Amino acid sequence: MNTNTPAVDYGTWKMLAWTGPVFFIGFFIMWGLLADNFPPMAASTSAQDMWQHYKDLQTEITIGMSVCMVLGSCYMTFGAAVSRVMRRIEGQEGMLANVEMMGATITYCPIVVACGIWLTCAIQIDTLSPDMAQFCYRLGWMIIDLAYMVTSWQIIAAAIVFLRDKREKKLVPAWVSWWGFVTVASFFPVSLIPFFETGPFAFNGMFNFWIAFPTWYVWIVSMSIFIIKAVGRIEIEDGAAQPKETAVRGGSAVASH
Amino acid sequence: MVAVRGGSTTPRRLPGVEGVWVFVAADMSFFALLFVSFMLGRQDAVEVYEASRQTLDVNFGGINTLILLTSSWLVVLAVEAVKRNELKNVPHLIAGAFLLGAAFKVSKALEYGGKIKAGITMLSNDFYMYYFTLTGIHLLHVFGGNILLIVLWNKARARQFTKDNCVVLECGATYWHMVDLLWIVLFPLLYLLR
Repeated sequence: MNTNTPAVDYGTWKMLAWTGPVFFIGFFIMWGLLADNFPPMAASTSAQDMWQHYKDLQTEITIGMSVCMVLGSCYMTFGAAVSRVMRRIEGQEGMLANVEMMGATITYCPIVVACGIWLTCAIQIDTLSPDMAQFCYRLGWMIIDLAYMVTSWQIIAAAIVFLRDKREKKLVPAWVSWWGFVTVASFFPVSLIPFFETGPFAFNGMFNFWIAFPTWYVWIVSMSIFIIKAVGRIEIEDGAAQPKETAVRGGSAVASH
Repeated sequence: MVAVRGGSTTPRRLPGVEGVWVFVAADMSFFALLFVSFMLGRQDAVEVYEASRQTLDVNFGGINTLILLTSSWLVVLAVEAVKRNELKNVPHLIAGAFLLGAAFKVSKALEYGGKIKAGITMLSNDFYMYYFTLTGIHLLHVFGGNILLIVLWNKARARQFTKDNCVVLECGATYWHMVDLLWIVLFPLLYLLR
């Protein structure tokens, strides 16, 4: 045994993997439900109505966006856990694990900036004109939506590596990787949001909000579930843990094979 | 599952891998939702949609349909050739499919150019919004397909496809047929529907 090889810290790895569910559950509650973004205010809403929206929901948006700015960082830590699983497949010299981690990390940037803009709009709503409230609301959407290519690189990198997994039972099932390609394909029409205030391509429209976002959400949820499982499987592969079937029963270990 | 053909049983299987069918099903569902959205919009402004439709050049649409159908047919021939282990012509067939994909892009560029020159953009009205966005998203798929065809062409030249190893080719062919099929729906929806 090579005593120079550092021990793998499975506990930290699992904890990072669990930040995926923290991200998607937290965002669903704080951004979606509390800050009233299900559905979001329409792009065509008048400046006065947008101002009133922030005035009426000032506390909810303030709390929701403040928490989201903190929770958004969990996407980065989740990306780090995914990256380590990818490295087990593509090896230490693989570049796609780096692309995935960079993609997840940089995805946090537009999230935190957009939430920061919406937060500031809420806390200063009494001193802002309706036009400024409208500007802030739209600015946040443009930033959070049009940065999709960074996330696309993250998803593509993960999909390619997990499809290359030679295990009989892949660490992440092939359908999750293919769903990743679907997610990336659904992102491209989001580039149309600056041009439309109504219809399917507005930022609150059918395509951008009701297709691209849920498709990404399904990817995050499914990837989180399988990454949490993958870390456990790798621990067993490494011999650092025993499969559940070999659990100690009545004081004696019962082997599965 | 087995199918009986002329008294003998042949195992049936899905071409390519299951994942590519997940992609195709999801992608076509997105388009289906946009088609429904188009029809609902049309119901609300039939006259605008009809007047706008008449400004489209059916010849462009028809030629594009022929281009994509022929391209798809060449890919079918390539898959069939691999399955017969006649590998010599496979790169030529895939190259032909690629060139037709490129021809489609040139044709779309000419068509878009004509519209923009006439002062028509996707912001002109709702019909043109759908016309430019639906055909534009489809055009992105053609770009993706052409990249895929280059990959397949390289693999075919390296004789990497054999009768027993043509899953990648089948996946590429499935995607390219989807691009073709989407156009076959888009063409009557935008150019012909009165």
